[in-house]
Amino acid sequence: MKQSIVFLLFIINCSLSGQTLISGTVKAKNDGTLPGANVYIPGTYDGASTDAEGRFSFKTKKTGPAVLKVEYIGYESFSKEINLNGTEIRVVAELTETFNKLEAVTISAGTFEAGDKKQANTISSLDMITTAGAAGDVFGALQTLPGTTTNGESGRLFVKGGDSDESQTYIDGALVHTPYNSTAPNTATRGRFNPFMFKGTIFSTGGYSAEYGQALSSVLLLNTNDLPEQNQLDLSFLTIGPEIALTRLWNRGAVTATASYNNLGPYMKLVPQNYEWKHAPESASGAVSIRQKSGKSGMLKIYSSYDKGSFSLLQEDLDQNKNIDYNLHNSNFFVNTSYRNKLGQKWTSTTSASFTSDKDDVAFEETDFNKELSGFHLKEVISDEVSSKITLKGGAEWFNRTLKQTFRTPADTFAYQYTNNAFAAFTEGEFYASKKFVVRAGARLEYSDYLNRTSLTPRLTAAWKIDNNSQFSAAWGWFYQNPTDDYLIYTDQLDFERADHYTFSYQMSKNDRTLRTELYYKDYSHLSKLNDPAFYLAESYDNSGDGYARGVDVFWRDKKTIKYGDYWISYSFLDTKRNYRNYPETAIPGFASRHNLAVVYKHWFGKIRSYAGLNYKYSSPRVYNDPNSQEFNGERTIAYQTLDMSWSFLYRPNIILYGAVTNIPGFRQEFGKRYASVPDDSGIYRSTTLIPGSGRFFILACFITLTKKGTDNQLDKIQ
Amino acid sequence: MKTTLISLFFALTTIAAMSQKEAYYQAMGENLGGYAQCRSVEDFQALGNTFARIAETEKNEWLPAYYHAHCYIIMSFIEQADPKKKDAYLDVAEKSINRITEMAPGEADVFALQAMFYTARLVVNPMERGQQYGMLSGQAIGRAMGIDPTNPRARLIKLQNDMGTAQFYGKDVTEFCEQARTLVAGWDNFKPVSPLHPNWGKDQAEGIVKSCK
Repeated sequence: MKQSIVFLLFIINCSLSGQTLISGTVKAKNDGTLPGANVYIPGTYDGASTDAEGRFSFKTKKTGPAVLKVEYIGYESFSKEINLNGTEIRVVAELTETFNKLEAVTISAGTFEAGDKKQANTISSLDMITTAGAAGDVFGALQTLPGTTTNGESGRLFVKGGDSDESQTYIDGALVHTPYNSTAPNTATRGRFNPFMFKGTIFSTGGYSAEYGQALSSVLLLNTNDLPEQNQLDLSFLTIGPEIALTRLWNRGAVTATASYNNLGPYMKLVPQNYEWKHAPESASGAVSIRQKSGKSGMLKIYSSYDKGSFSLLQEDLDQNKNIDYNLHNSNFFVNTSYRNKLGQKWTSTTSASFTSDKDDVAFEETDFNKELSGFHLKEVISDEVSSKITLKGGAEWFNRTLKQTFRTPADTFAYQYTNNAFAAFTEGEFYASKKFVVRAGARLEYSDYLNRTSLTPRLTAAWKIDNNSQFSAAWGWFYQNPTDDYLIYTDQLDFERADHYTFSYQMSKNDRTLRTELYYKDYSHLSKLNDPAFYLAESYDNSGDGYARGVDVFWRDKKTIKYGDYWISYSFLDTKRNYRNYPETAIPGFASRHNLAVVYKHWFGKIRSYAGLNYKYSSPRVYNDPNSQEFNGERTIAYQTLDMSWSFLYRPNIILYGAVTNIPGFRQEFGKRYASVPDDSGIYRSTTLIPGSGRFFILACFITLTKKGTDNQLDKIQ
Repeated sequence: MKTTLISLFFALTTIAAMSQKEAYYQAMGENLGGYAQCRSVEDFQALGNTFARIAETEKNEWLPAYYHAHCYIIMSFIEQADPKKKDAYLDVAEKSINRITEMAPGEADVFALQAMFYTARLVVNPMERGQQYGMLSGQAIGRAMGIDPTNPRARLIKLQNDMGTAQFYGKDVTEFCEQARTLVAGWDNFKPVSPLHPNWGKDQAEGIVKSCK
């Protein structure tokens, strides 16, 4: 017994006196020493931080077998078993960098990503809103990025030698069938969606993931905001009309209801217009957005909107040599839902669906033209994060699209319609070999019941990080899309159109400066053609068209050089020709400019709490066709130029005053000519020059945010 | 004999436990004294690391994790050049912040520190993060004041946030000077629960008062 007591005392004694010295260095694998690393023995307080040379040394009273642990930010922790017996221990610890996707190489070929997750973003969500000239239009802001061609008379996206209908827009994974507002012919359109709705944007101008089909040129992926933070009421007063938005929160959910009314009438009375409006554009819209969290990680998002708009414009009818009324009534109903949930640790399921019903009623003289589009999209994507370096994805989707057109003249009624169901499945894997190299490979299978065609498309992208600041990226893939609605309504004897993309990009980012250059080649084949004036006959169409587009895009952004200033410069060189639609031969298409330049500058004036933006754009002359000439697409427009400015003033934390003017110097803008469809008595096709609705456009606005008090919001407790 | 042995054994374990507690008090006390010598990022990192070691061992104490987060937040404020580093330090702080908000949801100081943490995130990129983190910081401070409206650090951080906003909007800050004076005058009325509990911030409040003159 006594022995046991002595033994016990001995242990206690021992733990009080014996000390072991532990020293050594901490290094990063292939990357020098690590100062400030935490070296310690778990279960004790004993340890030290490494000095500037990565050295450490400390004493411990613990004896026997123990573990030495080393921790450092951004590195895997290091453990080593040691035996503490009073003799000095020396340890050299080599730490491996943690694999962090946010810091690893990213697939950047063809892709512009905007969001707040990464530091190295080329553009942020805020940029989408504050770019002068865009005046809060998502598509307008995107047109300051390389790869796009500005078509002032359209306002839509034209990407890397592609026509505007080669671009698709997705919200939370579901297709938006009608992303643009209906406008009068030859006036610029705007997107239907408020950019404040989105927390992140991915604009891919080529080589995109196998998840996306039915787009030959580009996809725009918009991700909506998650739960709002508080109850609030937003009031906006713009020179074109007011808007009100109310947000209410409940337990893990929220609803935002928005109503707005726009009328360009008062503005158009004030500012001289190039066209005569009988009834200025007027529209009213309402939207409801619901967010609900469920379980641990589930998130349900529903967005639904309805808008109605109309106008009446006096347009010159070149065939009859008189002015006629052009009336348009549009209504658009849109629902977009998505549900995202984690299934266990590694699996994520995303279900998204959208429905659109869009109606255009156009009337001129005694002719009525009705167009009804209804579109549905359902998609399920499962992704499996196999490891931090491997992600597998797979999914299936169903698109349904019905288009009805009715053409009524006093004498006749012509009605056409078509319905297409497309089914698609895709699979894709993303593999990081290391922090420096990543490959994404995928395939997509698509079937169209209307065309009775199937396509299988491979997609491949890779990115290689050369050093901490720069990387190469390459993308290759086949892309298929159904021919335009205008043709499908008359024939189902067509095949998918196809484009093959080859993209190489180089990106360098350092100290808030980014340089991107991109080289690409696009090979178009199976483009649909109308070979005969008899557009209503199925036999007039075939897929014999083809073409190419190649070019260089350069993007430079610098947030550093000018204090409180931030600018970017985009330049695109484009060489493209194609033979499609009713082209008699291969020619440069009318939407393409050889040179496109955009310079965007933003400056924060702290003293007067103002954010100012200035933006210059240039597009070299485009071609158009003069039916009086022998040469097809032989005429050239003048170059397009604009200089826009915007000013935001934070009057109070919750009140912003905003003003913007486009085309300040009043550059002459022309978009070619419109011709009569038949020659006049002297055998000449009469023409009129296409010009914008007005030389300049200005807008003034006031945005007020009111947060409601007297609720369970935490903020109230301060007051 | 047997009983003697058992009682001796209990006595020893109690002593061991007490000496363990004592070691905790001693280590914490030494480290808290270390604050005064800290100037650079490296100093605070070394100090933060010692708190991390104690936090690792004392799984039921929220104070070591609190000071660990505090050190790393200060590091992000001191670091001038590299926004990536600022965020990396705050990523470390965030882990401890999350731990203490779960461990000690009834402590005003925990949420005052959380508010300071959100403000630090905001400072990294005010243009892009202003709205989101300003709101989060306000909510955290509201929670701290809800628990204990007399907590001087919660009041200090609220005052700093409010002054920052007022300065930004070009408003008069003299009304805050009065608040700062009241805060300093009454600072010592707030008695920390123990010598190890947060007791910092008076010099910062005095700094505000000084800048008012």
